[in-house]
Amino acid sequence: MSGSVAVHRGSLGFPAMGGGEERRKRGGDDEEEEEEEEEENGVRGMEAWERAYADERSWEALQEDESGLLRPIDTKTLVHAQYRRRLLLRSAAASSAAPRIQKGLIRYLYVVIDLSRAASEMDFRPSRMVVVAKCVENALELVYGYLSQIPSYGHREVLILYSALNTCDPGDIMETVQQCKKAKIRCSVIGLSAEIYICKHLCEETGGSYTVALDESHFKELLLEHAPPPPAIAEYAAANLIRMGFPQRGADGVISICSCHKEAKVGGGYTCPRCKARVCELPTECQICGLTLVSSPHLARSYHHLFPVTPFNEVSSRIPTKWSQKLPQTCYGCQQSLVSHGGKSDPHVSCPKCNQHFCLDCDIYIHESLHNCPGCESQHGSTT
Amino acid sequence: MKFQIEDVTVYFPYDYIYPEQYEYMVELKRALDARGHCLLEMPTGTGKTVALLSLITSYALARPSPPLKLLYCTRTVHEMEKTLAELRLLHSHLPPTHRSLALGLSSRKNLCVNPYVLSSASRDSVDSACRRLTASWVRAAAAEQPPGAVPTCSFFESYDRAASSGPDAVLLPPGVYTLGDLRALGREKGWCPYFLARQMIRYANVVVYSYQYLLDPKVAGIISREMQRECVVVFDEAHNIDNVCIEALSVSVRRQTLDGATRNLHRMAQEIDRFKATDASRLRAEYNRLVEGLAQRGNLALTDAWLSNPALPDDILKEAVPGNIRRAEHFLSVLRRLVQYLKGRLQTENVETERPVDFVASVSSQAGIDQKMLRFCYDRLHSLMLTLEITDTDEFLHIQTICDFATLVGTYMQGFSIIIEPFDERMPHIPDPVLQLSCHDASLAIKPVFDRFQSVIITSGTLSPIDLYPRLLNFNPVISRSFTMSLTRDCICPMVLTRGSDQLPVSTKFDMRSDPGVVRNYGRLLLEMVAAVPDGIVCFFVSYSYMDGIVNSWNEMGILQDVMQHKLVFIETQDVVETTLALDNYRRACDCGRGAVFFSVARGKVAEGIDFDRHYGRLVIMFGVPFQYTLSRILIARLEYLRNTFQIKEGDFLTFDALRQAAQCVGRVIRSKADYGMMIFADKRYSRHDKRSKLPGWILSHLHDAHLNLSTDMALHIAREFLRRMAQPYDKAGTGGRKTLLSQEDLEKMGEDPMNMF
Repeated sequence: MSGSVAVHRGSLGFPAMGGGEERRKRGGDDEEEEEEEEEENGVRGMEAWERAYADERSWEALQEDESGLLRPIDTKTLVHAQYRRRLLLRSAAASSAAPRIQKGLIRYLYVVIDLSRAASEMDFRPSRMVVVAKCVENALELVYGYLSQIPSYGHREVLILYSALNTCDPGDIMETVQQCKKAKIRCSVIGLSAEIYICKHLCEETGGSYTVALDESHFKELLLEHAPPPPAIAEYAAANLIRMGFPQRGADGVISICSCHKEAKVGGGYTCPRCKARVCELPTECQICGLTLVSSPHLARSYHHLFPVTPFNEVSSRIPTKWSQKLPQTCYGCQQSLVSHGGKSDPHVSCPKCNQHFCLDCDIYIHESLHNCPGCESQHGSTT
Repeated sequence: MKFQIEDVTVYFPYDYIYPEQYEYMVELKRALDARGHCLLEMPTGTGKTVALLSLITSYALARPSPPLKLLYCTRTVHEMEKTLAELRLLHSHLPPTHRSLALGLSSRKNLCVNPYVLSSASRDSVDSACRRLTASWVRAAAAEQPPGAVPTCSFFESYDRAASSGPDAVLLPPGVYTLGDLRALGREKGWCPYFLARQMIRYANVVVYSYQYLLDPKVAGIISREMQRECVVVFDEAHNIDNVCIEALSVSVRRQTLDGATRNLHRMAQEIDRFKATDASRLRAEYNRLVEGLAQRGNLALTDAWLSNPALPDDILKEAVPGNIRRAEHFLSVLRRLVQYLKGRLQTENVETERPVDFVASVSSQAGIDQKMLRFCYDRLHSLMLTLEITDTDEFLHIQTICDFATLVGTYMQGFSIIIEPFDERMPHIPDPVLQLSCHDASLAIKPVFDRFQSVIITSGTLSPIDLYPRLLNFNPVISRSFTMSLTRDCICPMVLTRGSDQLPVSTKFDMRSDPGVVRNYGRLLLEMVAAVPDGIVCFFVSYSYMDGIVNSWNEMGILQDVMQHKLVFIETQDVVETTLALDNYRRACDCGRGAVFFSVARGKVAEGIDFDRHYGRLVIMFGVPFQYTLSRILIARLEYLRNTFQIKEGDFLTFDALRQAAQCVGRVIRSKADYGMMIFADKRYSRHDKRSKLPGWILSHLHDAHLNLSTDMALHIAREFLRRMAQPYDKAGTGGRKTLLSQEDLEKMGEDPMNMF
């Protein structure tokens, strides 16, 4: 289950199995699963009032303003500000390099999850272990063993969710780091407590990113940063053709032996076009003939990584009223009013291409989920 | 980059400059303009060294006559190399017409390239091995005998041949020469790097050497004698300069010293007999020379120059050696009587404290040696050893110490005291008698430096309170200022921890330090911290004995075992080799991610010289206030002297001294602005204003009111938050009003609009 990690957001990545060791305990690393886990763990023999202090930390949602008054943190603008920062960062990185960066869309990503004692620390709600699911060297060795077989078009990546502050290695970890570097395995680490030199060193050497989570939402944000495919490694950037199969969905009621579970299944599943074996999930690699199996929506969904929607410009609410009257009153996406009760316009954004205005929610929705600008698309439709 | 400070064009080797570096240079320039001394405190990691070098070099270029020379004093060879590396970078940015000569000077041990001499282990044996090959009579003997019969140093011989054709023949081309460069040059040309460097410091524009070359009168007498008045003297990392001054004029005599001195005297007597039998004219010539009162050093060969008189140049009377010690036999008998007298004094059962006046009177009545004879002991010994052609000076250290002592006690009546202790206070069962001549007045040793040179700059990361140093060193600075660090983020996090998690106060106060509750609370603090802080943690304790005690208790309580599960534990010991090994492994443990704790002692070697930057020190815990051992006789005598002479209260001085040590310890973790680290002052006494206010400004400005009275759990929470915050990416240049990097344009803009300065 630690399979469909971080890549489920549309990039054409292939879920790889987390290392055997790391899977020993349940690894609740996926966002959907996270919530279930939380509920499972919710009952820990604590009274409700205790939980209010230990887990919910209601005081953290309060902020002191200049005059010393307490007020709830304005989460909406905060979230949006964070999102904008991320977006601009990404587009700045893209524009500073060559205009068309080749991106490594086929990624083999292993997620290593730290389940050592430090993971049971309670500073993340409900505990670090549940928010994510030790020995760095062993993990890297294991991943190296798996990844070294992978063809050159695939991107070898490891994402380590690390909560301890030390690592106890049997051998020389520096050698292992160099080995990973040589094998072009991009190692990234998300730390949960503090910056650790060896992790920083690992990430710097192998070209990965090293981040430390401040709190739960920041952690999620950092994890999502790993979803867009990274730029391709220069040496492997040569275009080469990859043989892919587009399997058909099996008809209902057909009984066949599943090649991934090694047992008979009724209906569903997909059939490999080359060897006719049945697989349960896409994308994957055929267990029998080794053909890469995808469905066309997978390819289509990875398209936006290559041609992202341009970031929208923020429209300042301080524009004199004369000007703001000329501005549209509603969001082009959801038709909600952009004008607040005072007659002033709320902070919102506009698309630099079609000049349509959008509210903040739509902005996030367009860039994070839809990957098309409704304004530009409708213009497109009317002209052709 | 290049910019103007008033009328001086400053060459700076980097593209950006910190605002505090700029301010520092401005103040420095004003001090140089005023030809006065100054006292500047600026935190480490803000590029103090490069600011100093850059401004003084540029200033010297702007005012070519009279030529200004820079004497840069460092504490260790390592710092010397770092300074020279900065200087080299600076030189590559100077216009080619302005190149100057800069070099480092160190002892023979660090400069010698003769493999035979270098095989000796200690500094003194290297010195004497060198003398054995290069003393004038050895060379004379070698010249008479067939080649190879008397070993000489080929490096020195070829240097001497080159130098004999005039000083220009060996003049080095302009550039920066580190010790390594000098050695390489020596090997290449076959010249002796040590004597080459000794010769070159006369012509160099910048000389980097150790404190001793200026402060210790014995060394300064031969090395720095010829420096002109137009010198800028810089004492870097000078927070302990008063102690260096005091040590330069203090001597301690133990039983081993006296036994060794007796052996030395015995051998000298044999030598005298031998000379009498073979070459009596030498002794007679020496006698005649002393009768005429000839200055001994003027006509000596470079290699024969030995350490000069321990008394300060101004205090030496220019007169002939008294008659009753002119003859070698007579002088030896005087020394014998003196050694015998000292032996008698060491046999005391009680601690005795005496003023030099009383001591001299007692020597005079019991051993028949008057003050004038005492005063001339050192020079007379020197002369005798040259006459006797003794080259293995390392064997004669003991008698040198005795004569050193005699000369000092015969010269100074004020600011010294003689303390005889039959045993160490802390180990009363082991008899270890020691007679100490301790100097209390730091201003004595440094006075000639202040008087002789145009500007003396005392600078360090910790000089607080800055008004105390002028009083201790007895000088009038034209400028004394403390600078703070401009930061883009709050990368240091000092905390005062007053209570353990059980809310009971923690302290190393004498009545509390052995309380098991305090020991346990300190242990819990460490335990919590090793679980929350990554990589390296450094702990400082107030003394070795306290560290031994508390580590033992932690071991019994099982705390140490728990700590070991998170991090490895390393301990500083009094053995240098052991400590170096521990440090090495500590660094490795930090590198590979295992994490480590280093237990060290304030005032120890580690606290003074080792950096724990970046991941080698994310947290430093100062357990207790590192007061000096207040029952020490020397300290008591010094405090009394300070009170009577400089009106400095005992309490003030003790607190000042403890806090500068504490600041020095915690300052180890921050060595650059990109670095970050936490500092925990774990003692309830730190929360008091009189203690806290003596911390340097750059620490105080980050010490928030909320962090003044913490318990372990609160400190832990703050630590976690701090570490997470610091792990986030940050903007190095600073934006808007908090600009922390200035480019050339910024400076030019500021120059046009001087009102807009910060």
